[in-house]
Amino acid sequence: MSLGGDSFGPRLSQHMKEVGMGDAQLAELLGVTPSLVAAWLDERSVPSAEMSSQIHRVLGVSGAPGSGAFGELKQEIEQSVDGSQPIWYHRPGHADGGRELGNAAAFAFDADLSVLARETCQNSLDERLIANGRPVRVCYTLHELTGETLARFREAIQWEALFPHYEAAAAQEQKVGRVIDAGLRDMQERDRIVLLRVDDYNAAGLTGDDYDDGRFAAVVRRQLDSHKSGGSAGGSYGLGKATLWATSRLGLVLMNSTLSEPHEGRTERRLIGRLDLPWRQVDGKAWAGPAWLGRPDVGSAGPAVARSWWADEETVEALHLKRESDEPGTSFLIVAAHDVASLVDDNAAPEGDEGEDDDSIQRMHHRLVRALGRNFWAAMTGGGNQLPLLEASVRTLRNGAVILAEERVDPTITQPSRTRALKAFLDGTTVEQLTESGQVAASIVPLNLPVRGSGRASLGEHRAVLLVTDAEDADGKPNRVVAIRGNRMTVRDSSISGLPLSVNPFQAVLLTGDAAGADAPFATEAEEFLRAAEPPEHNKWGQTEELTLAYSPSAYRRINSLTRETNAAIKRLVVRPKRHSKEGGGRLTPKLTVGAGNKRPRLLAATLPVLEELDARVLDDGAWQVTGEIRIPAGGHNWRLVPVAKFDVRSGPRPTIAWAELLGVDNCQVVEGTLHFDAARTATFMGITDPTTHAVRTSLSGLVVELRTGEGESLS
Amino acid sequence: MKVFPYPRLRGTVSLRVDAARVKAPEQPREQLDSRARSVVERVVALGLAETENWETATLTVSATIPSKATERGSPWSDVAVVVVLADRATNTRVTSMLAPESEGGREWRGELQVLRADLFDRATMMVQVVATVDGVPGRIIAEGVDDWIVDVRSDAPTREQAFDVKEVGFAKGPRWLQQFTDAPWIVNAAGALPTVHINTDFEGMTDILGAEGRGPEGLVNEIMVAQMAADVWIAVFHSAVGDLEIEDDGTPLFPHGWQGEVLREMLPDVVPERTLEDALCEVHSRRVGVTGWTELQPRIQYAAMRRAEVPRVFLETARGLDKLKREDEA
Repeated sequence: MSLGGDSFGPRLSQHMKEVGMGDAQLAELLGVTPSLVAAWLDERSVPSAEMSSQIHRVLGVSGAPGSGAFGELKQEIEQSVDGSQPIWYHRPGHADGGRELGNAAAFAFDADLSVLARETCQNSLDERLIANGRPVRVCYTLHELTGETLARFREAIQWEALFPHYEAAAAQEQKVGRVIDAGLRDMQERDRIVLLRVDDYNAAGLTGDDYDDGRFAAVVRRQLDSHKSGGSAGGSYGLGKATLWATSRLGLVLMNSTLSEPHEGRTERRLIGRLDLPWRQVDGKAWAGPAWLGRPDVGSAGPAVARSWWADEETVEALHLKRESDEPGTSFLIVAAHDVASLVDDNAAPEGDEGEDDDSIQRMHHRLVRALGRNFWAAMTGGGNQLPLLEASVRTLRNGAVILAEERVDPTITQPSRTRALKAFLDGTTVEQLTESGQVAASIVPLNLPVRGSGRASLGEHRAVLLVTDAEDADGKPNRVVAIRGNRMTVRDSSISGLPLSVNPFQAVLLTGDAAGADAPFATEAEEFLRAAEPPEHNKWGQTEELTLAYSPSAYRRINSLTRETNAAIKRLVVRPKRHSKEGGGRLTPKLTVGAGNKRPRLLAATLPVLEELDARVLDDGAWQVTGEIRIPAGGHNWRLVPVAKFDVRSGPRPTIAWAELLGVDNCQVVEGTLHFDAARTATFMGITDPTTHAVRTSLSGLVVELRTGEGESLS
Repeated sequence: MKVFPYPRLRGTVSLRVDAARVKAPEQPREQLDSRARSVVERVVALGLAETENWETATLTVSATIPSKATERGSPWSDVAVVVVLADRATNTRVTSMLAPESEGGREWRGELQVLRADLFDRATMMVQVVATVDGVPGRIIAEGVDDWIVDVRSDAPTREQAFDVKEVGFAKGPRWLQQFTDAPWIVNAAGALPTVHINTDFEGMTDILGAEGRGPEGLVNEIMVAQMAADVWIAVFHSAVGDLEIEDDGTPLFPHGWQGEVLREMLPDVVPERTLEDALCEVHSRRVGVTGWTELQPRIQYAAMRRAEVPRVFLETARGLDKLKREDEA
């Protein structure tokens, strides 16, 4: 900025728009050259004191002309420009009567918190400010509002003005209408609303013009526009942002962005809200669907388009959009967040002591933590001289009070072995062959890249890095390979075919493209190629339309070959070479093996009574007193069993102990040391050992009690 | 069922072998590839070592014990975790104390060194938690659920053991085989590992043994192999049951090694409807007792036949022959 104008120009321009005055007109009224006005607007110069009071008069800026100092003019223009209240602008219905009863992009994903976590976090990663080398910090805040707090929030978003639109939308018998209806009822009947805020820090923020190409327009105004900062970006379809609106039952997302590059001379508190509703009729007028919360833009073509505005701290606070620091980045506030997937997620054990219902904030909190750990462990891992690319945390509040404290997602807990593998790669401590558990083996997998747009020719060989390490219990399913590219986005999680059952459980990580390290050849080209092979979910590589168009119809075969090479490399590391069969024997040898475990399921003694429970204590004279509970299967009461007591030894024969006393307590009698059962399902006996037959002191050894079939039992 | 006169630790105690290395005198030590151990089967195959005539092996082991063991207010003090390697063939017992890895006292780690000369082939390794209870030191308060096998001969870490099959011409072979020159095969279940000696001097033996497919030779091969296997299983059962260790009250103990495995696999067919221990008792009492041993023979034969899959092979052969006949007629 020059001459201490400090964003005077853009505001003057904005104010001129509001009062409907052009550059030339102003120049004429002031009696100056248009180029001088242009210089003010471009901030190449500022008006003199005299000129300032002239402008004051001509533009009809509120307040007295006063001394006419530039500072005063600036302040008043600022007040005038920034002071007007934001309004909801609804896009009018299409002139041709067309109706859009929902946003198709929102249906590309499930309204699932883990999908939201994946997409939003990926967007933040893609927009990370790379120059300072620091990680992008993403913070998820679940905030439940009830009662008075909810009422204040509704006031801040001008609920009264919105409500008729919601009513009209909810009345529609369409999927979107039903979701909105459920959201409205939840808020009205239970007097609560869940806000999910996604903040990123050290990211680009929503820069660029309100309407022209740029991050702001890509997110706020456009569908299917993927505006990404770098070549290693994860996204490519421009669909991910739709998850923000899909997660909101009310289709409402508010944004507050701190910009990394000033727009209109300012960076902090750029606000806009966007509402995604289906086509509707309110007050006899048709509305196309989307609506924006913003400042009326008088300069725009339409009569009352809303544009982003620079809000004051009070407004930001009221809208629950206050950011922690002035670090650049964006806060998305999803109003009435819900999580469809948790409704079917039965196996998730209830966590926390408050009764959790399906949309409870505690449950959403845990799901977010899990989803972030699962999808972004790689980006959260640092090593060598590299910091992690990402830090993520989740916290949960109710009416401003902390319910679940901020929880930093720790990849070494959610994905211990994969994190270990990546860290070893970054630290440069990988080995060629695994010898000790905890080691990480690295190997190179080639990917032959095709030339863009030309048939079969090969461009060169990208060298992807394969890491293999022992699996830990916490990783989930073992023996899988996770493929990663770009800024460490997990693309594919697949099993390895043809793996013998006997391999030691492992986890493998395949680093491709930019993730393969700074010195991997053709990394950028590999990024492009692989990204082209991804569907909107970015969860696999295969034949896609883009791959066919940009490369060739057979280009996907190179991915198949990458998969094949990867699996082969893994097998080289973990599979034992086939044992050479001993000399001769033909087909006899495999038939002559023992100890392979339960080869055939064995029928357990179906009717034999079993000793179920043994209760024992040592009496004062050193004798054992035992009470045994026996379970008798149906038809098993005809067995005659002998309880036998022995001392437990390390190996070899166990010294036998004689009974001093043995009697049936329940459902059995002792006849000459043998138990005779009644026709019942359980029986109890009691025995006292004879201490004189003890080979060692009672207190020094364990006791074994078994049931033996008595004499006279024989095979018939 | 066991009871103890002092409080024991509940929960799972597990053992893992993290690394293995061997050392021969005046040679650098060799770190074995992780494929020499199987976490699934819990076996370390030191036979995979490339170092010839190694003398000592060092195993890095770690154990996980319930945190209750070291918690404040527990009935145990001076808790120690030891790993015990025992070879019953040589009656060797090697122990090593592990050291706690972390503050919580759940993870313990250490090394166990063993001399090659102390082990015959397979030794078992298990973990024990030892503590002072009620003023009595050195009590075992918990033991690992699963043991590991340290195999100094095998080059594959599997629990499975294969019997030996030797193809040899009896006429010019070892002296004791020369008396069987007119037999196509002989099973010898004495010694370290049962061995089938196949007489290559016997006319047609090599051809039939190598035959495959669904032709007449293949069918003959299948049924012959099944018959040989049945012979082996009968022989090994008798061998295993013939040399049992007996307790004071006449109860036989399960032998270790392949003999124990053979009994465990065949007893359910020999004495059905009984627990393994009971079945062994029954078989033993019949063998040494006055009556019943002869009557048991059909059941042993039956168990061997099932183990050798004779019924299945016989059916397939019969059907195969039938098919061949029909093809000839067509």
